[in-house]
Amino acid sequence: MADTETLGQVLGDQEHQAAYIFDPAPEAPVSARPAKRGRISKKHAAQSEKPKEKHTHHFQPLLNGLESNECLQLRQDAFLKSWSRVQDRIDGVLRETNQSTLEAVTAFIKECTVEMTDSRIPSALIITGANMASQSLLFEQLSGSLQARAGAKVVLLRSGDASNLKAALRKIILEVVANPSDAGEEQTSLSITMYVHGKRYLNYDLEALRSHLALRPSPHVIVAFQDSEAFETGLLTDLILLFSSWLDRIPFKLLFGVATSVELFQARLLKSTCQLLYGRQFDVEQADTIVEKIFKTAVAHVDAPLRIGPVSLQMVLSRQRDQAAGIPVFVSSLKYAYMCHFYTNPFSILLADNAPQVALQAEHLEVARSLSSFRNHVEASLHGKAVSHVQSLLDDDDYLNRQVQMQLLSSRSWVCRSLRTLQILMCHQGHASKFTQLYVDLLSQGVDGLDQLPDFVNSMRRMDPAEMMSLLNQIVAIIQDGDSNMGLQGCKGESVPSVTLLSGIVTEIQTLCREAEDAGSTLRSEYSGQNKIMRTTVIAQKVQLSHDAATLTPQDKSYTRLVEEAIAHVEALLKCERAEDVWLHEAWLYDFKTPYREVFMPRPRSVVQRALLRPHDYLACSCCNSSKDQIMPTLPATAILYHLYLETGSLINVADLWTAFFGIVSEDEADGLDERTALVMFYRALSEMRVLGFVKPSRKKVDHIAKLAWL
Amino acid sequence: MAPRRKAASPEPAKATPVRQSTRKRPAAKIEEPSNEADNDKAAQASPAKRPRGRPTAVSKLQNGASQKKSIYDVPSDDDDAVGVGGSNKDKAETHVGDEEEEAAATTPKRKLKTSASPVKASAGKNITTPSRATRFTNGETPQWRRNDRSARKKSAMALIERVVAGDASDEDEQEELAQEIYNSSQDEDEEEEELEEGVEGKTQEVDESKAAAASPSKKPRGRQKKDKEPKQKGRTCKKSPTPPRDLPPYELYFAQNRPGAAKTSSNTLASLELLTHEEYFSILHQHKEHHAGDIEYLQSWHTENFAQWPLLHKFAKFLYDETPDHESSKIVIINGYVRSTSIREMLGTIASAVEPSHRLPAGNPSVMLESLKALLSSHDINITIIINSIDAVPLRRAGTQTILAQLASHPQIQLICSADTPDFSLLWDSGVRSAFDFVFHDCTTFAPFTVEIDVVDDVHELLGRKARRVGGKEGVTYVLRSLPENAKNLFRLLVTEVLMAIDEEGMSGGENPGVEYRILYNKAVEEFICSSEMAFRTLLKEFHDHQMITSRKDVLGTELLSLPFRREELEAILEDLMA
Repeated sequence: MADTETLGQVLGDQEHQAAYIFDPAPEAPVSARPAKRGRISKKHAAQSEKPKEKHTHHFQPLLNGLESNECLQLRQDAFLKSWSRVQDRIDGVLRETNQSTLEAVTAFIKECTVEMTDSRIPSALIITGANMASQSLLFEQLSGSLQARAGAKVVLLRSGDASNLKAALRKIILEVVANPSDAGEEQTSLSITMYVHGKRYLNYDLEALRSHLALRPSPHVIVAFQDSEAFETGLLTDLILLFSSWLDRIPFKLLFGVATSVELFQARLLKSTCQLLYGRQFDVEQADTIVEKIFKTAVAHVDAPLRIGPVSLQMVLSRQRDQAAGIPVFVSSLKYAYMCHFYTNPFSILLADNAPQVALQAEHLEVARSLSSFRNHVEASLHGKAVSHVQSLLDDDDYLNRQVQMQLLSSRSWVCRSLRTLQILMCHQGHASKFTQLYVDLLSQGVDGLDQLPDFVNSMRRMDPAEMMSLLNQIVAIIQDGDSNMGLQGCKGESVPSVTLLSGIVTEIQTLCREAEDAGSTLRSEYSGQNKIMRTTVIAQKVQLSHDAATLTPQDKSYTRLVEEAIAHVEALLKCERAEDVWLHEAWLYDFKTPYREVFMPRPRSVVQRALLRPHDYLACSCCNSSKDQIMPTLPATAILYHLYLETGSLINVADLWTAFFGIVSEDEADGLDERTALVMFYRALSEMRVLGFVKPSRKKVDHIAKLAWL
Repeated sequence: MAPRRKAASPEPAKATPVRQSTRKRPAAKIEEPSNEADNDKAAQASPAKRPRGRPTAVSKLQNGASQKKSIYDVPSDDDDAVGVGGSNKDKAETHVGDEEEEAAATTPKRKLKTSASPVKASAGKNITTPSRATRFTNGETPQWRRNDRSARKKSAMALIERVVAGDASDEDEQEELAQEIYNSSQDEDEEEEELEEGVEGKTQEVDESKAAAASPSKKPRGRQKKDKEPKQKGRTCKKSPTPPRDLPPYELYFAQNRPGAAKTSSNTLASLELLTHEEYFSILHQHKEHHAGDIEYLQSWHTENFAQWPLLHKFAKFLYDETPDHESSKIVIINGYVRSTSIREMLGTIASAVEPSHRLPAGNPSVMLESLKALLSSHDINITIIINSIDAVPLRRAGTQTILAQLASHPQIQLICSADTPDFSLLWDSGVRSAFDFVFHDCTTFAPFTVEIDVVDDVHELLGRKARRVGGKEGVTYVLRSLPENAKNLFRLLVTEVLMAIDEEGMSGGENPGVEYRILYNKAVEEFICSSEMAFRTLLKEFHDHQMITSRKDVLGTELLSLPFRREELEAILEDLMA
């Protein structure tokens, strides 16, 4: 064990240097090593043994290890392929989203060369919003596009990089002088930082930059302050002043990432400083919208091989909201779901491109028969008296295999159906909820007719003819054209009946409208609000209010009929079962809570707390588990101390703590510790409490420590 | 019980400990309603160190057993309840049962005579109102009520000022007095409330059992010893000092940090011989961890799971994915807990892992990072960085974490790290966190921090003892290893001299005899350890910084240098240095 080491041994050891290269080549005897090191080397051993076969298979065989190598390989390839496709789409979205901003900023920078009139520094104020994580992506894109399209030299400054004026200037000069645009000379230019033009300069002297630019002229030198709020105001002011005084020699342009608002940004600077800036505001698409776009292309998209289930999605989305996580976090959450699915689910091979040719192993089919969705399917089939179908499913492997393949295809139509349903629900104006939320609801609950959507029905009934027509037209458009964002194709062939029916209704409404217009009245249905006429009668000095149904014209009556018809048709369209009700959803639906939560939203505090409060949860020992709420002397010393710690006030008397501790550990007659050993344990526990950040020294009283954590 | 109560009620001026009085008051109240004010006064008077109190016969009798404890003068009367022990063992004995504890609780009167340091007495007088003399004759006048209130106000002010001014330990006594006044009048308020609620029916016994129940240490086993902690609080009976367990953490925080909440006994570790490094390690060496097997099992369980990790870490950028042959992937291990860990060293090591001959240009870490990135992209290599304790103190600087995050986000770098503290995630803002792109695993190992912390020094620092002193032989060896040769020689010289001085003069008052500064310097020059006094002082400064030497002036003003180690330690050090 590690604790048998003495300090002397430890100090002599190379492995406790601050940093070293771990070279496992001379494999040291693992067993002789202390725990910490053993862990590392074991880990490495585990890795180094594998490369030979791991080289081809990173995944572990499933189905109790019976999975064949082909399936394993297929699973792995399926993962790589499907994820890379999703990744490509996400990248595309990311590129597009900032495109308009990029263009606008580039244009501004370009045009400003001309209209740089009254010696003010052209500056672009980019309103990025509070999401810091997505800022860096934007600025990298900006820097790339400005370099490529405006021939500019761009320096990205983060508040962490530039603590003072000198550091900031040094970084700016270094970056410009060693700009990768002249990549070949990178090494040399690094070394001549001090010697520009044969002269020696201090590395924070802008004169160096000027002489460098004299050699290699560049139309713009752009300094981007990524997180302008985090910069010290004084530093920012100094830099702006300096840039402005050099403006006649160096073509400075500034970019400011502003998380709050231009007004606040302005308020932070002196008026005189502000006047040195020629600013323009640029808005960036907010992270929320980008997430929704990515959601549509990567999660909801028809071609997304894996459906991420409502539970997982809800967790990802709420993390996005609660932790203000950036886009990359969202993407990696998705990737993690993909990885877990392909890593752990033998049926994920069905998502491979050449799935139809895959012969499922007997084990696969065996597992397929025990799936809960299979059971549901069988039960449903039996209700439908399809006994022979069930018989074959259970007995005939080939039949099952074929059915599985067919089922996969039909699952695709389920996806289309659900997306279309979603679209129709979305075009309903009054629907306040966002697309993502609607999607999650749909997956988890499904839609079965309009009974579940009273709002939808009510608002449709109350619509005036114009609204109704536009809604119906939208629905028709959705069915006919699909949605390119989600890869939803127009299903002209399949849904012709509903399209003709709906467009028929639209034309009828149009005629009715015209007739009503001719008759000098407005068309309305019996559900619309205006058809109730409020009468106010004064009877015996009391006001009597009464509602009367206004008389409906024949046109109104037929319009009402049309509305009812339309609702019925729409209802027919809005049918989609829950994802979990689809047979074989296990192959393409990933919906688990467990690994995600632990892996992305760790709760280190409660983990540490649990380990200290109930070590037997981890150690699986019987001695420490006491049903009663008492401190067992067998607990690890730190755990005992932690129990005592919980009972103390904000100031802890170490003498009393020690007495209590000793009382507990010495209690046991047989195994009780003697005083000095107990003291050693006490020391160790106390120092560990300190490392964990629970206590700190206190000068209030002798031998007292202060409590730091209230868990 | 009953006799004691009688003793308490007719003689209110006797300084009854707050705790005791609060317990009994409801009962006393019924019998003698007019007593309330008196009792209040009793509570009020207690902080003033009972100048007027006379021990009653009853209490004297009862106190016989624990007489000797009273020599401890402790300002807070809760100590009475606790029974201030001369040593830890004494304490343990006094708490064997409630009965004895009660006996201890009635002891305060003795203190009146014996102890009560003048400072406290006068301080108490200052704080208590001038109308006190009259108070006892006509106790219930509204005026004293007012005065009492104002005293309370004043003490509250004093407390607030203290908190604002920060903690200066010399004012502790003052503070405690103020605290007591504040608490006692609070008690009295509470009691009034309680009376209104009609708790009268309760006998004292019931109350006591309630108090026992309310005390947090419900565990029967650890009970007797632990009782001390909670029972130190002034108002144990009414409000348990440790609030109920199920309070949410923030409530607990406020409950424990409210003024007057932090009351602890004045026991010290004076009687305990603290551990030295040697003793610590030798005992630790022999000690067999009770859970060793379980911990090992846990360890192996984690190890089994490692197989999945490469996949989960860094998202399918498998460790050996693009570069199947082992040569092109290297592992760099960084020990964050090593105090000398610096970001430059880390970057340098990583660079040399990429290309052994390469030397990163020293400079600003962010510049180094840039050139490291350039170096990486020109090589086809994968680096796995394993950081032990990414949340260790040396790595906690924000700049370091930013650099690490940027490093981790490089496509050719994989990062595996361990975190030890529960609050490690506070190190990262959302930008850094997303650059790290962590995947977390709960790997509680229960392995003790053997190399990460220097237990003995840490504990002593925590206790405010001998902070920063290099510990024992190992510590000295450790420091000397990083010092130049002549420093070692000088230290050897000094050890020899001191050992000789010990042989000649013997120990004086627990301290080693000193060596004259001049003499040592001359000898050092003779042995070519240093050539100038300047150099000599520089070397000494280094020792002094690590508190390896002590210096004092004797009566004549000569500077004497010595070493703060025991003779055996010195011999061991000398042996080590000669080897």
